[in-house]
This record gives sequence, C-alpha cells and structure tokens, in this order.
Amino acid sequence: MTAILSLPARRGAKGLRVLPIVEIATLVVAIAAPFVLSDRIDLVTLATNVLILSMLAISFDLCWGLSGIMSFGQALFFGVGGYVIALVGRDLGFSHIWGTLPLALLTGFLLSALLGAFLLLGRKTPTVIFVALGTLTGSYAAERLVSGWQYVGAGNGLSSIKLLQAGSYEFVEGTAFYFLALATLLVVYVAARILMRSQLGLVLAGMRQNEERLAFVGYRVQLFKALVFSVAGAIAGVAGALYSYHQGFIGPGNMGPGLSTTAVLYCLFGGSGTLIGPILGTIAVEVITYALADIDAIKSIWPVVLGLVLLGVVMFQPKGILGFFVSDRERIGSYGERPQRGA
Amino acid sequence: MDFAVKLAFDLLAFTSVMVLIVLGLGVVASMMGIFNFAHGEFVLLGAYTVYIFHEGGLPIWAGIVAAPFVLAIFGALLERSVIRRFYAAPIIAMLGTYAIGLVIRETVRGLLGGHYKSIPEPLPGVFTIGDLDFSVWRTVIIAITLLVILASWLLLARTSIGLQIRGALENPALARSCGIATPRLYTLTFAFGSALAGLAGALIVPLYQLSADIGLRFLVQAFLSVMLGGVGTFEGPVLGAAAVGATAAGLPWLVIPVLADPLVFVIALVIVKFRPQGFITQGRL
Repeated sequence: MTAILSLPARRGAKGLRVLPIVEIATLVVAIAAPFVLSDRIDLVTLATNVLILSMLAISFDLCWGLSGIMSFGQALFFGVGGYVIALVGRDLGFSHIWGTLPLALLTGFLLSALLGAFLLLGRKTPTVIFVALGTLTGSYAAERLVSGWQYVGAGNGLSSIKLLQAGSYEFVEGTAFYFLALATLLVVYVAARILMRSQLGLVLAGMRQNEERLAFVGYRVQLFKALVFSVAGAIAGVAGALYSYHQGFIGPGNMGPGLSTTAVLYCLFGGSGTLIGPILGTIAVEVITYALADIDAIKSIWPVVLGLVLLGVVMFQPKGILGFFVSDRERIGSYGERPQRGA
Repeated sequence: MDFAVKLAFDLLAFTSVMVLIVLGLGVVASMMGIFNFAHGEFVLLGAYTVYIFHEGGLPIWAGIVAAPFVLAIFGALLERSVIRRFYAAPIIAMLGTYAIGLVIRETVRGLLGGHYKSIPEPLPGVFTIGDLDFSVWRTVIIAITLLVILASWLLLARTSIGLQIRGALENPALARSCGIATPRLYTLTFAFGSALAGLAGALIVPLYQLSADIGLRFLVQAFLSVMLGGVGTFEGPVLGAAAVGATAAGLPWLVIPVLADPLVFVIALVIVKFRPQGFITQGRL
C-alpha cells in the first residue's frame, strides 16, 4: 500500500511530501474517530454520513480532477444505486452485503457507461458544454421521473429500507456501520489511487494537458474518458447504496442536481485532482454544516454562505484548500522512474 | 376544433415564456461563450422585483416595467466584478455562475421565508372570440414576446451597436483591433441578457406562484433550447425554445405525465447529440 501511496518527492528545499502525510493523518483520525465519539451516537452517524458522501466526492474527482469531464450529474448514479437496493430489499426481501453492494456497483457502472457512451463517444467530438449539460440533464430528468413514479414512492421516496445484512448480522447506525463505510471508502480510495497513478492515469494526465495532441498521437481520448466516467459511476452507485442503508431512506432529492453540485463543492473546496482533497472537503463542509445547524440565525443563511464559498473557491483558489499546502508538481504527480539527482 | 384552438393557444403562451427566457441566455452564450447557470435566478429576481413592488403598494405593471432595468444594472455590475474573470474558461464559468445562482436563490428563499407568494395578474379576466375564452394576460405575454423578438432582432441587425456585437462575435481580436471596446460590449450584452431574464420573470410571476425554485424549473429546458437551436445565432435559440416549449407543453397530452417531463429532455439531448451545431448553422447572429 505504501508503494501505491508514495509519490515522487517534491524537489523543493525540504523535499517534503505532503500528500502521504495528509492521507495517513486522515486515516488515523478516521480510525480513531468512533472510539473518541463512542458515547455520541449522533456524531458517529454524522461521521458515517461524511465517509459515504466522500465516496461521491471521489467519484466526481475522478471525472473532473482526473479526466476533465465536468459532471453535474454524479448524484444520478448515487441515487440509482440507492433506489436499486431499496427496491431489492422491498420487493425481493434481499439485503445481504455480498449481493447488494456489487449490484449497486454494477448498476452504477452500467448506467454511467451507457450515459458516458451516449455523451462522449461518437463520430463527432462532443463539446465540454454538451457533456456538462448532458450530465446535468440526466440528473434532473431522473429526479423528475422518480418524483412522479408511484412504484418507487414518488415524491416521498422510499423509507424504512430493509437493513443491510452480513450473514445474520444486521447493520444499524453506529460503529459497525462506520467501519463498513470506512473499509469501503478505503477500497475505493486505493482503487482510485491505483487508477490515477497507472499508465492509464498517465494518459489522462496528458489529456488534461492537451487533448488534441493525445488524439493525434493515436489515443482514443473519448474512450478513456468514458471508461473513467463508468468507474466513477460505479463508485457513486456503491456510495448511494450505503447511503440509503444508513439513512433508511432514499428520495428524489438524492439523485438531483442539488446533490450533484454539492459533490462539486466538496471536491473543489478540498482540492480536485488529489483524491484526498474531496474527502477533506466533504469533512469540512459537512462538519461545519452540522455544527452550525443548531444556531438558527446562521442556519437560514448557511446555503448562501456555501454558495459564496463555492464562488470564492472557483474565483480565487481553484486548487482548493489542499492547494495551499501541496505543490502543483506533487498534486499532478509524475510517472515512471525519476531521474537520479545529478545524473 | 375548439379544443385544438385552445391547445394551440396554451402551447403558444408557454412557448412565449420559454422564448423570453431563452433569448437572454442565448445572446450571452453566443456572444461570450458563457453558459450562465444563474440565468434561472435572474428570472427569479425579475419575479421578485414585481413582488417587492406589489408588497410596497405600488402597481404591478410598474414592477414589470422596473424589473428589466433592475436586472440590467445587476447584470452589468455582476459582469464587471465576477463574470469577466471567466471568459477564458467556459467550464469554470458554469461553476461560478452556478454558485452565483445558488447565492441568489438561497437569499431569496430566506427573504420569502420559504413561502409561496402569488401575484395577481395585472390584467385579469378573459376575452371571448366566438365561444372561446382567452386569458388576457397570456395574450399580453405572447404579444410582448413577439415585440421583444422583433426589437432584439432590429437591435442586432439594424443598429451600429448590433453591428459591433456581431463583429465581436465573429472575431473578437479583429473587432478589438478595429477600435471596438469589446469589454464594454460584453458588459452591455450581459446586461441585456439579464434584462430579458428579468422581463421574463416579471411577466410570468402572475402565472406561476413565486417561490425560490421558479428559475431552476426553466433552467435546464432553456439550456437545451439554446443547444438545440444552435449557439452563435439569433434565430437558433428562439426556434429551439419554441420546439422545447411546444414539446414540453404538448407531450403530456400524448404520453402519461410522469414520462412526459423526462422525455422532453431525452428527446432534446438526442437531437443535440446527432446535430451538435443546432438547427441553424453557427456564425450568423
């Protein structure tokens, strides 16, 4: 794992690598959190929620930070994942973890592969605007569809979802669910990290630099994009399944543009393209939101503040909070053997 | 026959609303390459202006007249301070304008206290032709829409400002080197687009209840209309809006309403996918 996480040293004065430190610190805090919070079940629930939403943020980061697809519709796959496992629980009475999570993964993957193929592939190269609008439209249309569809609970969504089972054990809110979410997040994170630092990641990095040049070299750029989009959709699907098991509820609002753009906020606020940034962004936004929820005066203007934060990040700090600590070189990473110093 | 006329009138009224909203969006998108995600919230602000006038005891029509000017000033200030930074990066512009929209929407939501407010029609009642009743206000909206289209077209096609705008669209660098102050032109264009949104909002608020989400409802449809019609043209977005508006209003008669709503989006997306340049080919504003 260290081999995966280790990035080439920054050739700065200190030669300090920041990202691995941030990653390890986050992991330590994440493991310690439920023990510190163990007597506050509401905080454990919040922490679990943050972990699940972090996966959605990572899913967006794969699209935007890794392959430059502005997806305004990641919540679509999140919501569909949640709805699928809710329906399987309701109509088939099935909620075993070995079946449902892979099912959500597969659903998210297939749906995003389908949408990605429609939006990205084809004879004519799609414009960035078309892709962004297409994902937004997909998310919005899906929200409208389920909010009018009686079979899936229409506007009320689906509640009292059958609990997630592992053998005879049932996951309820609490420490066990927290560690399940953490383990899933860890798997997702490591997989995304491998993807990012693989040869495929190198192609994607080149694509972000100059898409046309890569195309001329002979890469089928849009195919790579569609592939990453599908992987991101699969991750969002799993996150959505965990979310609806954890909340016991899934509704139209969980698949609409509102949540989609919240994922954008998480990612950009933390620092896109770093994978750990979206997690930090999710933690920051959700924890502050929770802390301020009790103060009525702030609660009502909080969405306005979030909007201003997003605007501020977009205008002045596009690299997010991690951009303050991490050099561009480390953020983007480098590939292959690093030339020896002095060689 | 009566039914057909009635349906046609309803389609026409809804389509007019769409055209009004899309016109401003299309002009800004064509001219500046900015897809303004806050456009729906500009519509909301137009509606809110009317509400403020109504609350203050002033006549509603005064609010309707004021709304475009309020929004033009707002748009000009916004362009000067924020939008200007986004010209180089259309994707960042989407994010930035979305954030602006979010701020406006949530502010208005806070001001309205989450309630729905209804504004009476300034010209209530119906007029009768044969044995059919037509809403006066909807007729006014149709008429104003036609006037606005005509006026915008005259502005773009027959005035020197319009010539400069078309020049700057065709080749910004060349326009600048010819002594056309493109930054000021962009401010004007954005203010004009905002004013159109404000007018649209002010006109439709008596038809729909005023709530913070009134703009969101039109935003996606408006974007699809612009793409459908073709960015960079004047007629394109108008045609696109007409197509989307008519489909959105007419489809519930053909398929069950639950499906009709998402189906409009799917149809529009598929058409854009296979004809990305739009109905009208680019380059003739």
